[in-house]
Amino acid sequence: MALQLALNALHSSSLYALVALGLTLILGVLDIADFAQGAIYMLGAYTAYFATSLFGVPFFLALPIAMVIGALLAAGNYLVVYRPLRRFSGATTFIAALGLLLILQNLALQFFGADFRLVKAPFANVRLNVFGATWTGYQMFIAFAVTVLVIGSWAFLKFTPVGMALRAVSQNRRGALVVGLDPFKVELVAFLLAGALAGAAGTLASGVNAFDPSIAAIVVIKAFAIVIFGGMGSVPGAIVGALIVGLAENLTAGLVNTQYAELTAFVLMILVLLVRPRGLFGPPEAKL
Amino acid sequence: MRAASRAEGRLGSAERGGADLARTRLTWVLGLAVAALAIAAPHVFTSIAARHLLVLIGINIVLVASLDLLIGGAGLLSLGHAAFMGVGAYASALLVKAGQPFAVGLGAGLLAGALAGLLVGLPALRLKGHYFSVVTFIVGIIITILMTNLVDLTRGPMGLTGIPFAKVDLFGWHHTFKTIVFKVGYYYLVLAFAALVLLLRWRLGRSRFGRALTAVKGDENLAESVGIATYRVKLTAFTVAAAIAGLAGSLYAHYTAFISPDSFTFVHSFDLFVMNLLGGAGTVAGPIIGPVFLTALSSGLKGLSPALAHVVHGTVLILVIVALPTGIAGGVKRAAEALRGRRR
Repeated sequence: MALQLALNALHSSSLYALVALGLTLILGVLDIADFAQGAIYMLGAYTAYFATSLFGVPFFLALPIAMVIGALLAAGNYLVVYRPLRRFSGATTFIAALGLLLILQNLALQFFGADFRLVKAPFANVRLNVFGATWTGYQMFIAFAVTVLVIGSWAFLKFTPVGMALRAVSQNRRGALVVGLDPFKVELVAFLLAGALAGAAGTLASGVNAFDPSIAAIVVIKAFAIVIFGGMGSVPGAIVGALIVGLAENLTAGLVNTQYAELTAFVLMILVLLVRPRGLFGPPEAKL
Repeated sequence: MRAASRAEGRLGSAERGGADLARTRLTWVLGLAVAALAIAAPHVFTSIAARHLLVLIGINIVLVASLDLLIGGAGLLSLGHAAFMGVGAYASALLVKAGQPFAVGLGAGLLAGALAGLLVGLPALRLKGHYFSVVTFIVGIIITILMTNLVDLTRGPMGLTGIPFAKVDLFGWHHTFKTIVFKVGYYYLVLAFAALVLLLRWRLGRSRFGRALTAVKGDENLAESVGIATYRVKLTAFTVAAAIAGLAGSLYAHYTAFISPDSFTFVHSFDLFVMNLLGGAGTVAGPIIGPVFLTALSSGLKGLSPALAHVVHGTVLILVIVALPTGIAGGVKRAAEALRGRRR
């Protein structure tokens, strides 16, 4: 029972982790709460749905397609909305982000309808028995894909020149500008990476959770609660936060009831705000 | 030394006296004109649909004026205001359904809003800048999730139906506001509350408390250093604003006779926010202009599907932020100042 809950937790955690990772990257570099990432997640799910059902594209090919679309859309949001607004305060860009979320979610509602969709997942018939708990093939695939994406992002941030520039801007913007880093390039890369991760998360989730356009707001709100819980702008905070929230959510669903499971992430967020406002892994003298 | 500077100050104010007097007179004329328009409105627009919009505008003015205490007054961009309205609406509806008089419902709406505001403000106000906005936004959503899930109390997504109409029993004068058809009477009731809240907002802005808020808005660290208890000042403002939102919720519940979690979602919080920004945050006229404009706009968009209406809404919002960061009232003020500057 406990093991089964932990296994279920793993796949919801890993999907939150991808969205939270993108959000925290953008927060770190630009100090923007980019709620439009939720819309990119939703469009990732629809990309998988339409690619597999209308065009007969295999699921494994739909994943990179959704990542490219997500990256381009996030970069487009940055160029069209956020960049022109950069001289305004963080609150202004947050409002603009909510506006974008509202626009994209309702465009999807207009054109894709409010029907719930579910993508036919690969490996659905494979089942692994782990000490009495079942792990489906698709859940294993999600865990594998997310691990690859997270390690890939980490390696990108750690070892490539652009990734290092990104971390530098995130840690100390003025210092990074002094040594001649190009903020435009770094910001664009942050959005491309975040968009690709959110698109991937949407595609991967489309095979396990039925979705409609309103998933955009639901997912990004939860992911943001995780970012606050883990520490704003912190990459390990996003990952560890997602794991803890996913586990707590599934335990609540299994042991209490499913209605309150929805609130778990928010309760953890409020607790951490009361006790430690900078979050689990937040910077010590945060921009709070 | 001190006398000299005081005399200097008096001299300065005497010099400015002429222009100030003219401006005060203009403000009075404009204020009276707006009041006359508001009183005449339901007799100019006589259709039920138009009168319905008038009542909604009135309720939105109450909400936006209270929100402006946070946004315009303290620079606290709260994005969960509709949730406090919802808390007040449920509290009032449940009590009046259980047999309490309407006045008790109104008071309960006020208190429930205040309590919710206090509970939310305690953690949320620990964060500054847009992190505060994000948390109020998320908490607003939590409150609607609770309304949906506490089925025993709220009947969940089904909502509360058959909420009794407002009954007033004043000095032997009884009246029941049957608002489904007869909207004018309730409109004046709402208008009275709107005027009261606008007055309160205006008086608060000029009080010691209002000046403390302005200081917090300008530079919180500086305000703290001159001895203003910033956290407490902000918490007070947040609680008062939420209380008034709760009152507006009560007015709304007994007007529509039906409420559900859908009436108080983050989209409505968002609309209120846009109204405040569009009208002009921190101005006297802003909380009136914003609701009138946006309510008219959304009724103009009724022909479109709700989804497309939201798309237009979002686009207008982004354009307003970029083109008119100080809102319509702020833009008019600037234009008037530019004009006066040219005349000199």
